[in-house]
Amino acid sequence: MDFPSTQFVSSRTMGTYEPIHQIGMWGENFKSISNPNISASVIVDVANKLENESETTSHEMLASTSKHDQEASKPFDKIQRRLAQNREAARKSRLRKKAYVQQLEISRLKLIQLEQELERSRQQGLYVGGGLDTGHLGISGAVNSGIAAFEMGYERWMEEQNKQICELRSALNAQISDIELRILVESGMSHYFELFRMKSSVAKADVFYVMSGKWKTSAERFFSWIGGFRPSELLKVLVPQIDPLTDQQILDVFNLKQSCQQAEDALSQGMEKLRETVSATLASDQMGQGIYVPQVAMAMEKLEALVRFVNQADHLRQQTLQQMSYILTTRQAARGLLALGEYIQRLQALSTLCANHPREPA
Amino acid sequence: MAAAGGVRSRLHNFLEGADIGGGRRLVITGCKTSLKKLVVENAVIVFGRRGCCMCHVVNRLLLGLGVNPAVCEVDEEKEEAVLNELSIVNGGGIQFPAVFVGGKLFGGLDRVMSTHITGELVPILKEAGALWL
Repeated sequence: MDFPSTQFVSSRTMGTYEPIHQIGMWGENFKSISNPNISASVIVDVANKLENESETTSHEMLASTSKHDQEASKPFDKIQRRLAQNREAARKSRLRKKAYVQQLEISRLKLIQLEQELERSRQQGLYVGGGLDTGHLGISGAVNSGIAAFEMGYERWMEEQNKQICELRSALNAQISDIELRILVESGMSHYFELFRMKSSVAKADVFYVMSGKWKTSAERFFSWIGGFRPSELLKVLVPQIDPLTDQQILDVFNLKQSCQQAEDALSQGMEKLRETVSATLASDQMGQGIYVPQVAMAMEKLEALVRFVNQADHLRQQTLQQMSYILTTRQAARGLLALGEYIQRLQALSTLCANHPREPA
Repeated sequence: MAAAGGVRSRLHNFLEGADIGGGRRLVITGCKTSLKKLVVENAVIVFGRRGCCMCHVVNRLLLGLGVNPAVCEVDEEKEEAVLNELSIVNGGGIQFPAVFVGGKLFGGLDRVMSTHITGELVPILKEAGALWL
């Protein structure tokens, strides 16, 4: 988004504000939004209202200043008044910025929808490209390329994963040394951490893509919780495969399972709250105004928290794997990683089977 | 400074606390609120933006462990001021949600999660007097 955000950063960090300057800047920016479909009257009204309020405030301030001068000059009070004025001006500036950003988001929405319509018409041969070059990706282009990069990366990741599982299997069957086994375990863990990094990157481009698990097979998606597996479920898969455990290990694993469960519950409840917040924002007053309303932009802002949820869930998965590697011996950890890898492979096989299973006609 | 603690009924507190994920809601009134005092007087206190879902997660987790954290919801306008003052109290950078345990900055959601998984969190909470048993 191309607008002078640096100006706002600097004025926030400076100690003083210039209310008149701020109003002028916002007024110009509002007028420059040239999309005819936005109700320009709404924008101008907001800007005017804020201008009027601020002018009234400064008049009042001036009046009371001269009154105080007559009584006794209290420099402390003057400073306090100036600070209050600054805070008020800053607050108004923030509100104006928010309104401006929301209108920008609505314009983006319209632009994206227009581009998509154009692309559809072009593909149907109804429209032969005019001023736009045929290689033009549009606003959605950047997101799509982020997703395409991820999908390619994931394909490579999966190939490497399958290779590592084979290596683990043969290493455990042969009697290789603990040191060599440790290397395999470490690279197995790093490989998972690499996936979490990739997911974090694409989540910034399109968080719903990660949430939907589109990049995974259908059976994997069936078990999906905030963009991946539930750590506690993974533990349930792992633990029977790494018997026998010492008493201390049994206790540690039990505690880990419980901690995972508690952390998952907290995250799930946070997600529920996010859903409620987004829903309430989208539906808040002004129904009957169509879809190009600030509510959509406001809801989008709230949804940015979803990226944090995905990151936290992956962080939890990473911590759980790490903790398991501390609790287990090298050999147990290797068996655990093998079990995990094979479990996922079986899920993928299940997806293929379900997709190709001949069904009786209804 | 106004603390929502002693005057209301427990039920009222509980109902009010429900939408922040649990805990006792504190309200900052005016510029004279001493955040340092809040931090020192509460075994566990969570500072977060009003309506923040991450804050909700922290509170739910702490509540699930049996802790009754004080929760300070900060309005957007006061956000910068609160962050600044907390940074001074802490002697360093602060981000929301910020959890203070035993009068010192403990960290954000990341740290709460990691220490919970490794099992370090509960002993720390017990030591600060936020948990018994």
